[in-house]
Amino acid sequence: MEMQNPLPVPRQERRLLLIVDDDAINCAILENIFAPYYDTAAAENGWAGLQRVRERENDLCAILLDVMMPEMDGIQVLRCLKDRGVLEKVPVFLITAETSSAVIKEAYTLGVMDVISKPVIPYMVLRRVQSVVELFQARERLSNVVELQQADLLAQAKQIIELNKGMIETLAAAIEFRSEESGDHVRRIHDITEYLLTHTPLGEGLSKIEVEQIALGSIMHDVGKIAVPDAILNKPGRLTPEEFEVMKSHTVQGAKLLEQIPQLRENGAYPYARDIARHHHERWDGRGYPDGLKGDEISLAAQVVSLADVYDALSCKRVYKDAFPREKVVEMIREGQCGSFNPRLLECFFQVEGELAKLYHNPCKEE
Amino acid sequence: MDQEKMEILAAGGIDAADALDRMMGSEALLVRFLGRFLEDATYQALCQAVEAGDWEKALMASHTLKGMCGNLSMTELYDLFTRQVALLRAGQPAEAAALMPAIEAAYGRAADAIGRLTAV
Repeated sequence: MEMQNPLPVPRQERRLLLIVDDDAINCAILENIFAPYYDTAAAENGWAGLQRVRERENDLCAILLDVMMPEMDGIQVLRCLKDRGVLEKVPVFLITAETSSAVIKEAYTLGVMDVISKPVIPYMVLRRVQSVVELFQARERLSNVVELQQADLLAQAKQIIELNKGMIETLAAAIEFRSEESGDHVRRIHDITEYLLTHTPLGEGLSKIEVEQIALGSIMHDVGKIAVPDAILNKPGRLTPEEFEVMKSHTVQGAKLLEQIPQLRENGAYPYARDIARHHHERWDGRGYPDGLKGDEISLAAQVVSLADVYDALSCKRVYKDAFPREKVVEMIREGQCGSFNPRLLECFFQVEGELAKLYHNPCKEE
Repeated sequence: MDQEKMEILAAGGIDAADALDRMMGSEALLVRFLGRFLEDATYQALCQAVEAGDWEKALMASHTLKGMCGNLSMTELYDLFTRQVALLRAGQPAEAAALMPAIEAAYGRAADAIGRLTAV
């Protein structure tokens, strides 16, 4: 796994201090105090101040604001800054000779950081501004770190999900290989299941996540075949009744196998996977196995995978048969030669079968 | 800043030590700002506004002068303008206008001190 860079690349630190005051002497005094620590800029009234904020918003580390100014007073400026969302990123200080408690209260309500009275006392104004600027910078650094860590965690979670899916596919493919089929079978079952649940009314009421979980579960429908001996699994001729009983047991064995994986039991796909493994050979007319479920007793997921499995088996060459042409496949399914299915399921299936057939453009050449 | 200059400014109602602190110890900056205070037309604007009975303009001017005097530690004038601004805000223009003779005298003393300072 690739090592993640533990430290974020630091964003260019904000270090511009804007002074908005119509009193030139006061501006000069403040610039003189702060110049050793920050870049400074001055604006002689509220309008000019807002202009500077627009130009240099991302460089600002603090704004020192006078209240009584021509053109636009400090409170109006504060309101505009609040509306622009600047106050969350840049601390604003009122530097004022204004002592009216109503004005000071309004300023604090709007979100000013501190109110410092004029004439200023240098060490005091310097310390109060610096403390808050450092706090904002630390907070921004921290939020950058948190953001990057979150992105890391998401990437790792995605990787784990991919790995899970990969392992499940590998397991399923290994079983398919045993029966001399390729891993493409399980991948197509996954895709057909997902397609039917996403592009037909069958999936109504299912969330995107549930569809994904059912599709993932479909991959494991035949895991129980691991318990079926090679001689039976790969027998080209007809199975004896005893052999067929063993073959049929792959449904129950599959469900049992899945039950024994504790990590899988905690996964959202587990209930679907177990149900599909056990019931993908049930029939709508009740003559399937292992439980002889009938009609809607069979879950939708198991019904869909069952049809997908038949469709794929007919469309490809197997040890016991050749691949059938598409028209023949559709005819056999329609006429119920390969099992009995829910009529609504068949209707939806035939609606999109043209799309599903595209999965077989290179018709199972590897099989 | 030497003792002589400090005393000249003190006679003009200016607390030079306090002002120098605000200038981070820069005498040049203080002298420049004191000069600018004399050139500034706000004081004349205040006199005219009071004479004309334009109290809104008077308030703006008095407020500006208060700020300047505060920054330059011109304590006498600062106290006077602080009182004048408060009276104008409180809607007592007659009382605010009555401060003008005291302001004029203090302004004269300050201007005189600043003039002598630059001559030293």
